[in-house]
Parts: sequence; structure tokens; C-alpha cells
Amino acid sequence: MLKLKNIHKSFGNNEILKGVDLEVKKGDIIVILGPSGSGKTTLLRSINFLEKADQGTMDFGDIHTSLAKASKKDIYNVRKRIGYVFQNYNLFANKTALENVTEGLIIAHKYPKEKARVKALNALRQVGLEDRADFYPSQLSGGQQQRVGIARAIVSEPEVVLFDEPTSALDPELVGEVLNVMKKLARAGITMIVVTHEMSFAESAANEVIFMDEGVVVEKGTPKEIFSHPKDPRTEQFLRRIINVDYQYAI
Amino acid sequence: MQLNIEFMKRAFIASLGAVPITLELTFITMVVSSVLGFLLALKKMDKKKNRFVDAYISFVRGTPIVLQILFFYSLLPTTLNYVLNVVLGLGIKVFDIDPIIYAITVFCLNTTAILTEVFRSALSSIGYGQMEAALSVGMTNWQAMRWIIIPQGLISALPNICTTTVNVLKSTSLAYMMTVQDVMAVAKKEASYGYNYIEAYLVVLFIYIILCVVIQLIFREAEIIAAEYKRGRAVTQKTFSRRWSYVKVKKYT
Amino acid sequence: MRPLHPSYILVAFVKIFPFITVTLATMAGTVFIGGFIGLLLASAKLSKNKVLAAISDTYVYVVRCIPSIVLLFIIYYGIPEFLQSFGISINDSSKWFFVITTFSILFSASMAEVMRSAYESVDKGQREAALASGMTEFQAFRRIVAPQAIAVALPNFANSLVKLMKEGSLSYTIGMVDVMGKGQLLIGLNQGSYGLETYIALALIYWILTLLIEKVIGEIEIRLSRGKRKVALGG
Repeated sequence: MLKLKNIHKSFGNNEILKGVDLEVKKGDIIVILGPSGSGKTTLLRSINFLEKADQGTMDFGDIHTSLAKASKKDIYNVRKRIGYVFQNYNLFANKTALENVTEGLIIAHKYPKEKARVKALNALRQVGLEDRADFYPSQLSGGQQQRVGIARAIVSEPEVVLFDEPTSALDPELVGEVLNVMKKLARAGITMIVVTHEMSFAESAANEVIFMDEGVVVEKGTPKEIFSHPKDPRTEQFLRRIINVDYQYAI
Repeated sequence: MQLNIEFMKRAFIASLGAVPITLELTFITMVVSSVLGFLLALKKMDKKKNRFVDAYISFVRGTPIVLQILFFYSLLPTTLNYVLNVVLGLGIKVFDIDPIIYAITVFCLNTTAILTEVFRSALSSIGYGQMEAALSVGMTNWQAMRWIIIPQGLISALPNICTTTVNVLKSTSLAYMMTVQDVMAVAKKEASYGYNYIEAYLVVLFIYIILCVVIQLIFREAEIIAAEYKRGRAVTQKTFSRRWSYVKVKKYT
Repeated sequence: MRPLHPSYILVAFVKIFPFITVTLATMAGTVFIGGFIGLLLASAKLSKNKVLAAISDTYVYVVRCIPSIVLLFIIYYGIPEFLQSFGISINDSSKWFFVITTFSILFSASMAEVMRSAYESVDKGQREAALASGMTEFQAFRRIVAPQAIAVALPNFANSLVKLMKEGSLSYTIGMVDVMGKGQLLIGLNQGSYGLETYIALALIYWILTLLIEKVIGEIEIRLSRGKRKVALGG
């Protein structure tokens, strides 16, 4: 359904993505792992054209375009069909939770207001925040803000939802509520690409785990393959470090 | 339109001679107002409300400086004359006083109010966290102000002090209204002989731009030095050893 | 020293007050023209075009170094001669033209800074989130970024406006009859005998106008800063 080939992206002399391929099928839950600076976030941002890749192609349903020279029309179409959840939530500060969710529907998808409202309330219900509809972002906790962010991303029923480290800005005790919402969405069959360090989510929800380092895909496989039998020493080292951290947290 | 370049050269040299007056006016105003403004700011931080200070600041910020100049210049000499000679009978020739004294007085009245706000906002921008941290290590209120809040406040006030200085410099172009012989007054006088006003004001403009650029460069340098000082201070040997000896003392008692 | 006549303050106040319309009208013209130039300058400053950005930066830097009265005189003496050389003669009575030109130049520089810093104060994630929800660049600006930027810009805008009003009082030096000009006329009519009283009346008028501007814009700011207020909530 979504196929990306040979993505390259540099910032100045610093090459962040060195030819990454990615294929997503309907219903896939893909988790991307990797140390910071490995290009995971840049990859997600390139898919949604928040970053313009230097090279690479995208096949997405009926859209076939180069990433570097995509037309405005293609860019807007892709964005309308792909949801995006930000690390720092990026809720519109001047809009209520409900307005955050309806805004894209009304402005970009041209929904009539009342219809957008019903749909948005439904999305808020899915993330368990119907009762916070009229709150402003500054009145919500981090976990609640991120759940509104998720509602905003799924409300237009996008074909794919991208999650960019959705829990890394949250206090540890708030991570659970967001992960629960994400697991629920996964069970509902929503196609997701998730950049995260949450191993529990990768293990229980993902059907494919991709390990990236220094701008390339080092290896990919099912969670079981990656976690129990990593082929590449870099993967193994990374996993050991992450698991050690978890271990220390547990103590 | 033909500019009289000959005249401009002459006017430029004549006006340059008045630059010291303009700078003197700016400099003295800034120094005096900084001291007064800082004291007022501390006072404002200290107490809840001071109606008089608030009204004074609001008045100065709410009225044109040209009006303040005209008002005080028509009030000050006659009042001084009345107080000194009629009431006290000192026989001082008030009207012989160098008008620059009046100008400095008016500009100080204006600038003190501005700087009070500058220092107040700088001091309060340091925040309670720093104050609480200082108190938590056993400093008194005053020590916390003296060693933690004020040094940081002065540094963060620098950009606004720069803006204020530039504004004072620009305001001195109105000092001619008090018959001060500054750049503006000299250029005006030169111009009046042959009606070369455009040329004269272009010369004044040029001089002000140069002065203004120089002042901003000086402040930028000061900000860089201040930033280094701020960074460097945290790791000086002195503070380090002092902290260390404190730990030792604790251990042995 | 002659005693003050408080009653004349009131007389002067009443006589000057109607000229507020002149002051406000020239201010409105300046805000309109200067604001528009400021918008162009701010977009130049923010643009990726380095030449445009440098030109805009230089303009703002230089203009901020210019004393208002010097620019006012240059425009007042310079523009008629400049136009004369093209055979256009400009009537001396069109003083509002000189005033608005002068203060538009000055006001545009401060507005450029106000707008730029307001735009930059809005987190870039806001724009990205808007784009990610499928909005176009323009929709993202108009619906999400601009409303937040305006709320941020308002206090600085109020400052610039008050400054414009105060500096605008210098227009009397070229014979403009606004609030300040009318005051000066009154003093002239009285052969300078009620100078202090007139100045006090003038000061009161300017003071009131300043407080009014700050109050009104403060109210607008509160309305616009939805979502910024902090409410302590459990959970």
C-alpha cells in the first residue's frame, strides 16, 4: 500500500538517511528502533513531507511521486491520507481539544462543521477524552495532550498513522495511558508506523520491527526474530543497552 | 534637487564639534538614571505598591518627551529662581546656569522612569527558583540579592539598557529646544545662514547613525564579555575550593 | 513666580480635546501604511532570500538610529524640493503628508521587528501539525500560526503605537495642528502666559490616550490568548 524506495536526506554535510527502503501493507504495525541520530524521525518526517528528502520515490495507492520533487497537490493528498503524531504533541495552543481534532477535518477535508464535530467527539471517545473536549491544551496533562494528538491524527480515518516517539516527552507514569490507546488502535486494525523505545509495545503489538542505525536499515523481522535472535551485532548491542535501562528502572 | 556638498562638509565639521555635548548629555543622563532607576527598581521589588513611583513611571511613559521638555523648561528656571533668590535670598544668577544642566535634569527625570522598569523586569526575570536556591543554601535575603539575583539581573538587562541609551541619544536631538548647543542646534544654526536645511539635517542624520552604531557595537561587546563572565564564574577556582572546604568542615564537626 | 491657574487647565483641555481626531487620524494613516511596509519588511527578514533579508535588516537597523525630529525635518524640507525638480509643486498645507511619510518610515521599522519576533515565537511544531492535518501552507498560517502570533505581538504593538503617538507630537514643529499643535497655538495666542497650564492639559490628554490604548489592546489580548491561560487541574 505504501512503498518508499531509496530515501536519502542530508542536512548540510551530515547525511542522515543513506538510502532507506520501507514497505507497508494494510494493517501493518511497524516499529522502528534505533539509537538517537539514526534517522528514524527524519524518515517519518520525510514520508509526510515535513522534511523534503533529497532523493527517493513514494508509491502510495494511486500516488507515485519522487520525494524530492513532489507536486503541491501530491503533498497535500499524502498528508490528508496519513496521520501524524508528534513527539511534543504540537497541539494547536489556541484551540480546544475538540477544535484541535475538528480543525483538519473542516479546513483540509472540507467537512461541514456539525459532521466534523460528531466525528471528532467519536475520536476523542476512542482515546478516552470525550469529557475534556472543551479544555485547552494548557489545561491538559502531557498524557492527555498526546491522546488528543492521537485523536487528531486518526479522526480523518487515514490509511496510515505515523507515530514519532509519542511517549518520549512524557513522565514515566503517563506513558501507560498513551500506549494503551495505541494498542487499542492496533487491535482495531489501523496501519501504523511507530518510532519508539517502548519494547513492550513493539513486542506485543508490532508485526514487523525495523532496526536503523546511521541512516540505514540494519535489519528487520518479526519482534521475536529481532529480540531473541538479532543477526547484527549493532542490534544486539542496542537491545542490551535498552533492556539494561529497563532493568535499572525496575530496580 | 541639488545638494550643496561644500556646505555639507562645512556643516559636518561644525557639527562634529558639538558631538561631545551630545555624548556628555547622553552619558551623564544614563549614569545618573541608572543609579536612580536601579534603586527605584529595588524598592519596587521590595514593597507591594508605591503609588507615587507607579504614577511617576506611568506619567513619563504616557507623555511625549518633547512635552516633558517644554513643561520642565518653562517651570524649572523660574521655580529655581523663586526658591533660591526670592525665598532663600542667595542671589544666584539662575538664568546664567548652563542650559545643559536643565537638559540633563529633564532627561534624567524621563530616563529614570524607563530604567526603573528595565531593571525591575530584569530582576524579576531571574525568577523565584534562583532566589529559593540561594535561600536554601543559607543565604539571607540580601545576600541572595547581592550575589545571585543582581549580577544575573544586570546581565539580562544589558540589551534593554542598550535600547534605552540609543533612545536617550536620539532624544538629545530635542535639547536644542532648551538652547543646548548640541549637534542639532549647531547644524540648525549653520543652515539658517543660507537656508541649507536639507543638507544640514542630512549631516545630523549621518552623525546620529554613526553614534548610534558605535553605541550598539560597544554594548554588543559588553554583552559578549558579560556572557563569558557568567559562564566562567561558575568554575573559577575560588568558588570551587570554597565549596570543597565547606564539605570538609561539615565532615569534621 | 506667578501662581498656577488650575481653572485654565480645564479651559485648555476643552479647547485642545477636539484635536484628538487629527492626532488619531494621522496615527491611523501611519499604522496602515507603516504596518503594511512593516509586514513586507518582516516577510523579507524571514524569507530564505539572503539579499532581501539583508536589505530589510539594514533598513530596520538604520531607521532605529534616526531621531524622529531629524527625519521629520528632512522630509519636510526635502520632499517639496525633490518633487520640485520634477516640476511638481507640493502645497505646504499638505503637512499631514509629511507627517505620515515620516512616521510610516519609523513605524514600519518597529513593526517589522514586532511581527518577526511574534512569528518566531510560535513554535514551529504548530505549523507542522497543521500541515500534517492536511492544511495548506496558507491555511496553516491563517488558522493556526497567525492567531497565536497576533496575540504575542499585541503588547509590543501597543508599545509601538504609544511611541508613535508620543513621537507624533513633534509634528507641531512643522506646523501641524494636532493635539500638540493646538496647544502650542493656544500658548501663542495667550502670548505664552498660560504655558504651564496648557502643558499640563496636553500632558493629561496624552496620558489618558496612552492608558486608553494600553487598556483596549490589553483587553483584545486577553480575548485572543485563548488556551494560554493556566488552570490548575488534577490529573
